[in-house]
Amino acid sequence: MALIKKTVSAPPEEHRHSARDLSGLLEQLRSDKPDIRRWAALDLSEHSEAAEILCRCLEEEQNMAVRDALFTSLIRINNNAAVKGLIPLLKSEDAALRNGVIEALRQMPDALAPYMQDMLHDPDSDVRIFTVNVLESLCHPMTPEWLLGVIEEDTHINVCATAVDLLAEVGSPEMIASIDALPGRFANDPFLRFAADIAIRRIRGANPN
Amino acid sequence: MKQILVIDDAATVRLYVRQVLEAEGFYVDEATNGLEGLEKALSHHFDLVLCDVNMPVMDGYTTVTKFRQERTLAHIPIVMISTEAKKKDANRAFAAGANDYLVKPVNPDKLILEVRMLTGEG
Repeated sequence: MALIKKTVSAPPEEHRHSARDLSGLLEQLRSDKPDIRRWAALDLSEHSEAAEILCRCLEEEQNMAVRDALFTSLIRINNNAAVKGLIPLLKSEDAALRNGVIEALRQMPDALAPYMQDMLHDPDSDVRIFTVNVLESLCHPMTPEWLLGVIEEDTHINVCATAVDLLAEVGSPEMIASIDALPGRFANDPFLRFAADIAIRRIRGANPN
Repeated sequence: MKQILVIDDAATVRLYVRQVLEAEGFYVDEATNGLEGLEKALSHHFDLVLCDVNMPVMDGYTTVTKFRQERTLAHIPIVMISTEAKKKDANRAFAAGANDYLVKPVNPDKLILEVRMLTGEG
């Protein structure tokens, strides 16, 4: 996804004369010039204590380059505060921001893991769907078990449909019975039956023995 | 044969819609995100677009807005299909320029009816 930039070019000469300490960078994060905000956001990656403020800035920042820089720094900081600040943004009305949050959280598996159960039990089904979206690329050994819990317990059809789609990729043969039983919990909805059958076929194909 | 473009990041959803619509005689092509959908639509004629909301690279609302801003694509009917069932989500889809808004999982009969109606095949 284009949002997260791994490398950046050197800052303009004039910015090298600005204060690069924490308080100076936080001040520059409020600048009305996007380029100054962007460089401040990037340089704040060296200050893990700035994670909460970087997350708050994401809510208001409309400039995509600055937003990218905020995400880049939060991914580099990759701590408890960064994850805690990002999770509530999954409820944002801004679909592009939500996509950025999903992409960022995918890159913080260890920091995110302690929050996963709460996210998968959020009262808002959209947040639970976005959480399953995070799991799609989250390199964490618990991912299949978390997804299995979703298809066995979640009461929202679209949360389960998103999870079973992903289990087609990461599921194992011992999960087939639960996947097969899933459509029965939703009056054998035709799409869910289709998705479950596809998942079962793929798991069997990947595990022929 | 009417040409339908399905834009959705979920492979299972694309495959399902393809099977449902191909069985009814429609030609179906797929894109995995809004940007890919726009690129396909600029190089190939489509009679209707079915577009998901939450996708990587370019979300559905942005995609619909871009279609409406592009002179050669602005006339194509677009149905947004989303997991989000709140009224404000549908309103946002219509504000972006969508012709209709359906909530997943879409009943196959309803989908066929919608596609037939918007492509003039009804």
